[in-house]
Amino acid sequence: MKTMKWLLRREYWEHKGAFVWAPLAIAAAMVLLLGGGFAYSTAYGDIQNIRFEGHGLVSVNGLPPALRYKIAHIAATGYLGIAAPLFVVLSVVVFFYCLSALHDDRRDRSILFWKSLPLSDRDTVLSKVITALCVAPLITIVIGVATSLVLLVIGMIAAAGKGVNLFAPVLMEPNLYLSPLYLLAFLPLYVLWALPTVGWLLLVSSWAKSKVFLWAVGVPLVSLLLLTWLNFLLGAVSPMRFDIDFLGEQVVGRMLGGLLPGMWMSEVDGARLGQMREGLDSLLVLGESYRTLATPGVWIGAIAGVAMIFGAIRLRRWRDEG
Amino acid sequence: MSAVLSARGLAKRYGKRTAVDGIDFDVPAGRIVGLIGPNGSGKTTTLKAALGLIDFEGQLSVLGYDPRTQRDDLMKDVCFIADVAILPRWLRVKDAIDFVEGVHPRFDRKKAERYVANTKLKPGMKVKEMSKGMIVQLHLALVMAIDAKLLVLDEPTLGLDIIYRKTFYQNLLEDYFDEQKTIVITTHQVEEVEHILTDLMFIRDGRIVLAASMEEIGERYTEVMVAADKVGAANALAPIDQRTVFGKQVMLFDGVCRNQLGQLGEVRNPSVADLFVATMKGTYA
Repeated sequence: MKTMKWLLRREYWEHKGAFVWAPLAIAAAMVLLLGGGFAYSTAYGDIQNIRFEGHGLVSVNGLPPALRYKIAHIAATGYLGIAAPLFVVLSVVVFFYCLSALHDDRRDRSILFWKSLPLSDRDTVLSKVITALCVAPLITIVIGVATSLVLLVIGMIAAAGKGVNLFAPVLMEPNLYLSPLYLLAFLPLYVLWALPTVGWLLLVSSWAKSKVFLWAVGVPLVSLLLLTWLNFLLGAVSPMRFDIDFLGEQVVGRMLGGLLPGMWMSEVDGARLGQMREGLDSLLVLGESYRTLATPGVWIGAIAGVAMIFGAIRLRRWRDEG
Repeated sequence: MSAVLSARGLAKRYGKRTAVDGIDFDVPAGRIVGLIGPNGSGKTTTLKAALGLIDFEGQLSVLGYDPRTQRDDLMKDVCFIADVAILPRWLRVKDAIDFVEGVHPRFDRKKAERYVANTKLKPGMKVKEMSKGMIVQLHLALVMAIDAKLLVLDEPTLGLDIIYRKTFYQNLLEDYFDEQKTIVITTHQVEEVEHILTDLMFIRDGRIVLAASMEEIGERYTEVMVAADKVGAANALAPIDQRTVFGKQVMLFDGVCRNQLGQLGEVRNPSVADLFVATMKGTYA
């Protein structure tokens, strides 16, 4: 356990820039641009610009109370949505982290230093898996929640400047406090969906001598292309065909796209989510997301991911780095 | 006391090329062994096999462990510096010390800090800001602070200036080494290690051509500055090597009685380097 703590700390030292400074910089940019936008609209904007359900609202007495509460509800339930760019960045950062995780230290030979210490290859690889699947997302969640809260407050101040006081209704909304927990509740689902991608990338990272990215992305895509070509050739003589759509979505999609948060939405029945009327119903989204676990694809992907991580450990044990 | 390192029929092939060709050797505890051979002779391959870094044929036991299957246990008692190893560029001196202290039960933090204090390294310095010599100094400081039963040093002083190299070997002998420990060193700078070695192992083309303690070598090999009129007699005793120094013939004899050689000229112990050159004659031919 103690060793794992230090291994995780080592990953943090090495990748602090990508995991902490990059999202912080983006968060700062978002606060400046969006927050600045809110402030600007306060200063120069006009209440007439607030449109609701297609109608411009103008009222001498400000907004009707019911509408005020509705806006407050939407703000309190959906404010975390503004952090979405951070999570897109997270998936890109973790993608490249996994590609380099077991390759960079082989390239610069520092692997021989790590291997001179009592660190098993299993623990080393697992520390990288945990970093990719838990540590990095948790850091982004913390930064994302903080950014969203700052922007929410700026937005509420801006609204207050226009005579719309949202503070009381927003602060009374339980969803304001529950949203970060809902976000956290997505993490186990994210881990399962991301496992095949992390496994595949680590396997390539542990195997490839160079050009890790080309191998990791090229092999699945070129295979798909070849199969498409084969289909075309075979089509003339036999009715047998490869199911390219299936392979693309279920195999290549899971191998390369699993790190994108919300990938599971592609399997969620959109009609159910369409029932949401007021703000974001986090529980409904959470429930629908977890319903994707009823399909075998996620589980097969996760098992394949674990198998590939095992393969990466074996490769790291026996690769001759002379 | 059983051997710390024991090989039987150890072999390693890379495709058609045989790097190590079925060698047998034993290294008892409390020795400092110099493993010496030309480039590509199989030194590093032998050490990598012993450290569980590569697969191999034959039997190899290190501190009673099989390095292929019990590497994780083995590494608690063994430490090494590989010839091409380098520290990761992003590592800071203080983080490196914290990390090794965190993961290694036999690491002595005070010792490492003392070694670092004797260099120009600063705690907040990153490896990428260091010169090559400084990186080696940090690496050595970390490794010397580990109380390992077996220490393997494969070209440990590459890139260091002569002053630091001398200090390092002195520290190694005075501060690190004791009868519980075993050190295996490979280096090209034979002259610098010969006075600290207790045993010598010459390796050539994947085979061990000489394995003996320094005392045995002192008894077995003799170098003679042959007087000009005795050259014919000396040649009759079949020297294994001869060279000319300031017009005088210097011959190296293997297993010839010292008293007998004393009559031919001035007798002395050969340096390891001269012995090495004589043994490896024709390696690059």
